[in-house]
Amino acid sequence: MNATFAPERVEEVAHWLRQRPGRVRVVGGGSRQHELPDCDGAARLGLGRLSAIERLDPGDLTCTVLPGLERRELDAALAGHGLELPCLGEGTLGGLFASDPVGPAAHGAGNPRGLLLGCDAVLADGTPFKAGARVVKSVAGFDVHKLLVGSRGTLFVATRLHLRLQARPRAVRWVERDELAIDEALRLCRALRELPAAPDVLALRRSDGGAYAVCARLVGRTRLVDAAATQLALQDREPGAPLPLPSPATGEVVRGLALPSALAGLCGALPARGAFAWLGGGRFEACSPDPTTTDRLLAWCTANGCPATIVAGPASRRGRGTPLDPGEARLAHGLRTALDPDGILA
Amino acid sequence: MPSPGAIAPLHARLAAALGQQRLLVSPDALLAWECDGFTVHKSRPGAVVLAETTEHVQTALRILNDAKVPFVPRGAGTCLSGGPTAGADAVVIDCARMRRVLHVSTEDLYAVVQPGVVNLDLTTAVTCHGLHYAPDPSSQSVCTIGGNLAENSGGPHCFKYGMTRDHILGALVVLPDGSLARLGSPAGSRAPQGLDVAGLFCGSEGTFGIATEITVRLSRNAQEVRTLLAAFADMGAACRSVGDILAAGLVPAALEILDQATIRAVEASVYRAGYPEDAAAVLLVELDGAREVVAEDALEVREMFARNGALRIEEAADAAERKRLWKGRKGAFGAMGRINTDLYVLDGVVPRTRLEQALAGIAAIGEKHGMLITNVFHAGDGNLHPNISFDGRDAEQTRRTVAAGHEILQLCVDLGGSISGEHGIGSEKLDHVPMMFDAADLDVMARVRAVFDPDGRCNPGKVLPNRSACAEVAKWPQMIAKVLDVEGPR
Repeated sequence: MNATFAPERVEEVAHWLRQRPGRVRVVGGGSRQHELPDCDGAARLGLGRLSAIERLDPGDLTCTVLPGLERRELDAALAGHGLELPCLGEGTLGGLFASDPVGPAAHGAGNPRGLLLGCDAVLADGTPFKAGARVVKSVAGFDVHKLLVGSRGTLFVATRLHLRLQARPRAVRWVERDELAIDEALRLCRALRELPAAPDVLALRRSDGGAYAVCARLVGRTRLVDAAATQLALQDREPGAPLPLPSPATGEVVRGLALPSALAGLCGALPARGAFAWLGGGRFEACSPDPTTTDRLLAWCTANGCPATIVAGPASRRGRGTPLDPGEARLAHGLRTALDPDGILA
Repeated sequence: MPSPGAIAPLHARLAAALGQQRLLVSPDALLAWECDGFTVHKSRPGAVVLAETTEHVQTALRILNDAKVPFVPRGAGTCLSGGPTAGADAVVIDCARMRRVLHVSTEDLYAVVQPGVVNLDLTTAVTCHGLHYAPDPSSQSVCTIGGNLAENSGGPHCFKYGMTRDHILGALVVLPDGSLARLGSPAGSRAPQGLDVAGLFCGSEGTFGIATEITVRLSRNAQEVRTLLAAFADMGAACRSVGDILAAGLVPAALEILDQATIRAVEASVYRAGYPEDAAAVLLVELDGAREVVAEDALEVREMFARNGALRIEEAADAAERKRLWKGRKGAFGAMGRINTDLYVLDGVVPRTRLEQALAGIAAIGEKHGMLITNVFHAGDGNLHPNISFDGRDAEQTRRTVAAGHEILQLCVDLGGSISGEHGIGSEKLDHVPMMFDAADLDVMARVRAVFDPDGRCNPGKVLPNRSACAEVAKWPQMIAKVLDVEGPR
């Protein structure tokens, strides 16, 4: 790759892109670059120095941040106001929204798509534009900013993000039960989903060893949270997101979507060994030791309507997955072409 | 675009392909399709296709594609921004007869419905499973899921539960050339390595295509629901109570405020709810969730009401009382019919902390133009609905109404907000769009639109103002003036 251009002011992004630097790979903190196709020779646009909270309005439950801001820095600032960004994910905010590696952590829970109110951005040709708004509710114009989520920097470069926040729940308790057989784990997941105050993070995990664990973030009032933990015999655990899985040194990682009703079948189709995690919002990841087992898992996903893709592994295999609907694929291709006709953003 | 006369030769072809009973062409029959809830903009379409299946929609769109004739999707016609109003050169594809709930999953909590399913009917269909469909526009007893998807509709409970987009998982879409695209899936709107095309489609106001099957997320009913009403002697106290509630970290399901003029109109109407007519503002707060939590939250909210000098605090004792308290709020727009012959419902948004400032500004604008402006709004979201009551037969009143509306939306933008929180741009706000977006922003939106509709035949003339308007300061009220010129005073 060529040298990295690391702007310190938002305006420099448009100016640099107007110089036509050739193919460009947008980089935040760099933590998800291994999921992207190789792009030898592309110039790197590093957004890590665009790191600031430009605006924080606690009363309006909104803020505006620059894309290089680290999630932990925003969390620290929000904690002082009793607020939080209600989604999982780490790294830079720009990277979190552009890669969306986790999705909603429970049925109906917050996720980057819902939390991104608007953005300022720059097209590959250096044209700045904006979409959405700063307020929590707006339906003015097409929501082009929502296309940032999961686009991995291939449509446009977001230079400023307007985010929705929420009050931090009065009681928050991370809990877990481990060493479970799959049937027990699925029953516990169901029980958690049916609580009157369902957790806003629900995860089913399998370690390399094959035993399952269920973890959750229970929220609400202390008495209620404690009662739920006791009722379901859950132990306290360290806060932390079960997804994305750390990339294994060898093998591949498959990321997909599975409904609760598909979980038992999915777990049965997993490779005999290898880590696995599923979140209550539907996203899962599975480590696979070799291409044969990966392909078997993808075949199961195709047959059972679970969209899935290889996100880590040899470059030649990354991006393979279950087929997209041809109509949706055509539209996605059209959107990439419309916003970056010269294919500059790699 | 073809002239209005270009549609006539298509009548026989449409009738042969779809059946004569699914095609309306006589001027009298088309009268019911001449406008939506934005009655200022009236225009009779060239024809109406009454679709009942995806195949009907595909067939119609293929025929129209061959002839390069524009079309306009339509649900129940409850939109408030002129979105489904078609020109004489266009064919309306009416989806109101597509009203089947195709599938409900009680385990995975989703439903697949046709676009003509009425919002409230979906909740009714799943209530026996302890489930509901959360987005609840005020028109939920008549508006359709397809229309909600097109407009990204909101409603009182979207403060906690989100807008329609937050509940859309996928859709089967007929594109303007008649081809199909299946966006998203029951497991999620975006495949892990894909784009969120389903999310983009939601809120596109019928300009990208027609959704014929929609997959929506269902929500479990809360264990407990409590509805409280507080009446205040001044609007500021009501707004401060909202601020206190949110600052305390509470997340009510709904936070709604009605001002005195609205209260009086409601109490004089069939929507009478027992609101105190001497109050300057009524604040409705709905709390839902686990029983113990809701009970404790309700106590806190009552204390906040009292601290802000509430004149009266009331709590619904049962479902019937809750329905009564909501009746006034949900019927507020209907009740305005008592004030004057016409009502212009605005839909601006301001940061919630600027609500008092915005309301003062709106009052000043009303005074300046000599117009009665009432307010009923989603206070938690800062989503204002200033309502201008006027006599549409009076050209001067109409002119002042339009001018006041323009100034109110400019005020919302100046305060850091938006020209629409949930009603959409449609034809109504075309001239307001440049208040928020410049030519470059609109060019990007136009590129996105062209991916779905390269010929610009799908609901033309909506959402994006024409390019020449983009480069100039807002040209309001040109669109309305044009409409009035064409239609003449009523």
